[in-house]
Amino acid sequence: MDEGQIAAAGTATAGDAVTPPVFVARDLAKTYGSGKAAVHALRDVNLEIHAGEFVVLLGPSGSGKSTLLNILGGLDAPTSGTACWRDHQLTGASESELTAYRREHVGFVFQFYNLIPSLTVRENVQLVAEIADNPMDIAQAIELVGLTPQIDRFPSQLSGGEQQRVAVARAIVKRPDILLCDEPTGALDFDTGRIVLAAIQRVNAELGTTTIVITHNSAIADMAHRVLRLRGGRIASEERNSKRLDAMEISW
Amino acid sequence: MSMLDRKLLRDLWKLRTQALAIILLIASGVAMFEMALSNYLTLRSMQVRHYEREAFADIFADLKRAPASLAAHISGIDGVAAAEARIVQPVRIMREDGDASVSGRIVSLPPTGQPELNRLRLTRGRWIEAGKRNEAIVNAAFADARHVRTGDTIDVILNGRLEKFTIAGIALSPEFVFATRSGLPLPDDHAYAILWAERSSVAAAFNMEGAFNNLTVRLAPGASEAAVISGIDRKLEAYGGTGAIGRRDHPSHRFVEDELAEQRTMSVVMPLIFLGIASFLLNVVIGRLVTAQREQIASLKALGYPNAPILLHYLKLTAALVLAGTVAGGLAGAWLAAQMIEMYRPFFRFPDWAFEFRLWLPLASGAMAFAAAMIGVVLSVADVVRLPAAVALRPSTPGTASTTAFKSLRHLGLAGPRSMMIVRTIVGRPARTLMTICGLMLAVPLATMGLFWWDSLGYMIDFNFERVERSDAQVTLIHALPSRAVREVSRMPGVFTAEGSRLIPVRLVNGHRSYRTVLQGVSEGSELRVPRESDLQPVAIPPEGVVLSRRLAAKLWLSKGDMLTVEVQEGGRPLRQIAVAGLADDILGLSAYIARPALNRLMREGDLVNSIALRIDPREAAGVWSRLQQTAKVEAVAIRSSLLRSFDEKISGLINVSAFILTGFGILIAFGVVYNAARVAYQERAWELATLRILGFTRRETLTVLFGELAIVVAIAVPLGLVLAHWLIALILRLRDNESFQLPAIISPATFALSALVIIAASVTSAILVRRLVEKLDLVAVLKTRD
Repeated sequence: MDEGQIAAAGTATAGDAVTPPVFVARDLAKTYGSGKAAVHALRDVNLEIHAGEFVVLLGPSGSGKSTLLNILGGLDAPTSGTACWRDHQLTGASESELTAYRREHVGFVFQFYNLIPSLTVRENVQLVAEIADNPMDIAQAIELVGLTPQIDRFPSQLSGGEQQRVAVARAIVKRPDILLCDEPTGALDFDTGRIVLAAIQRVNAELGTTTIVITHNSAIADMAHRVLRLRGGRIASEERNSKRLDAMEISW
Repeated sequence: MSMLDRKLLRDLWKLRTQALAIILLIASGVAMFEMALSNYLTLRSMQVRHYEREAFADIFADLKRAPASLAAHISGIDGVAAAEARIVQPVRIMREDGDASVSGRIVSLPPTGQPELNRLRLTRGRWIEAGKRNEAIVNAAFADARHVRTGDTIDVILNGRLEKFTIAGIALSPEFVFATRSGLPLPDDHAYAILWAERSSVAAAFNMEGAFNNLTVRLAPGASEAAVISGIDRKLEAYGGTGAIGRRDHPSHRFVEDELAEQRTMSVVMPLIFLGIASFLLNVVIGRLVTAQREQIASLKALGYPNAPILLHYLKLTAALVLAGTVAGGLAGAWLAAQMIEMYRPFFRFPDWAFEFRLWLPLASGAMAFAAAMIGVVLSVADVVRLPAAVALRPSTPGTASTTAFKSLRHLGLAGPRSMMIVRTIVGRPARTLMTICGLMLAVPLATMGLFWWDSLGYMIDFNFERVERSDAQVTLIHALPSRAVREVSRMPGVFTAEGSRLIPVRLVNGHRSYRTVLQGVSEGSELRVPRESDLQPVAIPPEGVVLSRRLAAKLWLSKGDMLTVEVQEGGRPLRQIAVAGLADDILGLSAYIARPALNRLMREGDLVNSIALRIDPREAAGVWSRLQQTAKVEAVAIRSSLLRSFDEKISGLINVSAFILTGFGILIAFGVVYNAARVAYQERAWELATLRILGFTRRETLTVLFGELAIVVAIAVPLGLVLAHWLIALILRLRDNESFQLPAIISPATFALSALVIIAASVTSAILVRRLVEKLDLVAVLKTRD
């Protein structure tokens, strides 16, 4: 039994209640290139993630964490293996099925915010609310990340941390089932980074959104229910935090 | 190789599609400029060479009859280098097909063979054998039009007597590059022939032994044309001289100059506008290409590179693109020019037809393209290097200036964020939007400028041949006859209407300005010759005074009510002051009208006519022509259908050739422009578009953002472009300098629609091409990069 299967075998808790797995990945592998030039970004990854869980994927750059997140987010396809979300097969799904999956279920937060510069805070959030079936109130989503005073500002009038909180509001406004955060504090300083993490943590706690955060910053791991460490494309270890820290308590 | 040069090569490879589009843009501009200008210059140099080699005379004079000895006196006039006396007489050529419309001139050749002036250039056959009286050489235009071959025999009526001539050779002459009968605005090669025969045979037929009735003169270097002309006129006065003319008034030369002027418009002005537009677009495209590398430039600066090598790097990139475009365009232009010049062959009867390559043409147009591109590069690089490296390193999302623009739109209650994205991108980056609109707007006239010529020609034909000259044929009489001749003709079977008019060659003079034309004495209530205003309202010809074409009046600096001097160039050559009683618009030629009784009074003659306009029953046309052919008093019959064919061949044909090429290039460049605009719009927004895709927007929804912007810009640019096209065409037509015909700035709704359609089609095609890029967007890469 390899490390991936160890991870997969674990049952997880969100809060302290046992919930069924929402993500199941089996023998995931991703190879870029071929022959001698082949780069194995992921090998034999097996994992289960449960509803409401806050999972941190930790690893140095090149460990395969982004590749894994991209596959789970429906942005990339594995070379072999399967990944499914509830009853959605993510592997082998068509482009339009993946688009529908992202649209209906996934909220993204990116390292560089990826806000639309020509739209205000409200409009950036509204942009996603428009294509969601059951979005939350826009003002409420913005309130959740503490940006109500800046609601009519443009991204260029906001600090990096504020922009990232807009990204969080944008991600959660459609009440996603999963929140995928790719290095959300990567471009931010310590103080701003913590505020953003607090927003993400609050979404996880208050809305029960399954949250996966990838980072190379091990301090963030203390916030998670579960921490998966990746190295060389494999899940090297899995830890469960018996005591989770509040975002404002962590430091790096 | 320096690392920057290596980057240059790799950048070129990476940008190969866009680079190819830019190279094509440059190549199209260069090729078109080279082709058009090269053709014009080649035609010009062929004209000059033909005039020189075949010794085209400087002064021409007709007279009634003078003894051969007078020629020696004329040679003695100060400023005359050479004078040659000839016999030139009207003839009619009988065709077996019964076509009455072939008339012509017979020109005597000296017994020694080649004349000293206006030499012939044999293209086929041989020279006339000495002593063979019934051999003739015929002009190549007529030979081609009527399929006359050497060895053929033709029936010629000289002075009322039928004689058979054998065609010994076919020749070109600088005097008859376009062979035009006086009084007709156009040469008609089907209906007009030039024959050259030995002097003795012409003299015998016209009782001109020992005499001449036509004189050609070459000026000594530096001699005054006016002084020599008046010297000649004095000498010829006693012999029925009708006034010597310089080359300026020579019908063939005038027509050659007009056609070349037309080519100058088509070949210099239009390609310059095209090249100008292409250069402007190149400037924009290259500028954006550099701006897209903003962060790379900032990185180089941050690494300590001074500005000069960075600028040089981008100039090298530009130079590589311009060089490739110039070489490709230069080669394509030379090839096209060599093909195209052949298409002019039927129009310009020049010998030594050959394409001449001119290296300076692609070099000059390439240099212009490089200069335009360089400005784009320098401005864009300067924009980036002016910023502190740290600022430049940050993505160039809209800055504070554009945020202000966004703010003003904040409360605009539009449909939603995606509409706001479209509108704010358009309004929030006004400079960029303006450039895109300008580019698309400039593409519209490229299509219109090629297409409108057909509208203009169609209008011309309708105006001239349906509204003003409404007869089916014009019969020219050898001598003026009493007007009852008209009634005789009108009684011929098959003739519906006959109207007589009196046509007199005149020189119209106002101060030092003058113009030689034919004064048309129009019968009262004429229905077959109706001068009109440009709005088609007929202009009544009053009992006294002349009605001038508006262009002629402008040329002579005359307006309604002014007095004008009319110098009759016939008979007793009376000189009269006549008032300008009205102005009319004409398109073909520069006309002057007068009431026929007034003209008869001016000539101190009775009720005479020398031209009869006919409306005939088309079913009996052949019978009418054949009966007219039997009439000895008829010099020539100009049939409208034949004139229209000649118009088609001489004017429409030539314009069509150029217009076809202009349209082709115009559409090609327009497509290039629109594609580049769409491509750049995509490039600048690829990051946003990918973000939308990641957020769960479908391809279609994502594309609406990109194409919504393009659609709005196209919707703004196309109407502006149509207005611009109208202005540019009016400007081009004003720059034309052509006496033979006036092209009106008529652009039909269909042409406007087609031009708009070209741009819209180009936009749709570009959109389809760009859609593929959106479909291939690398969503993952976007997560790892900033802007």
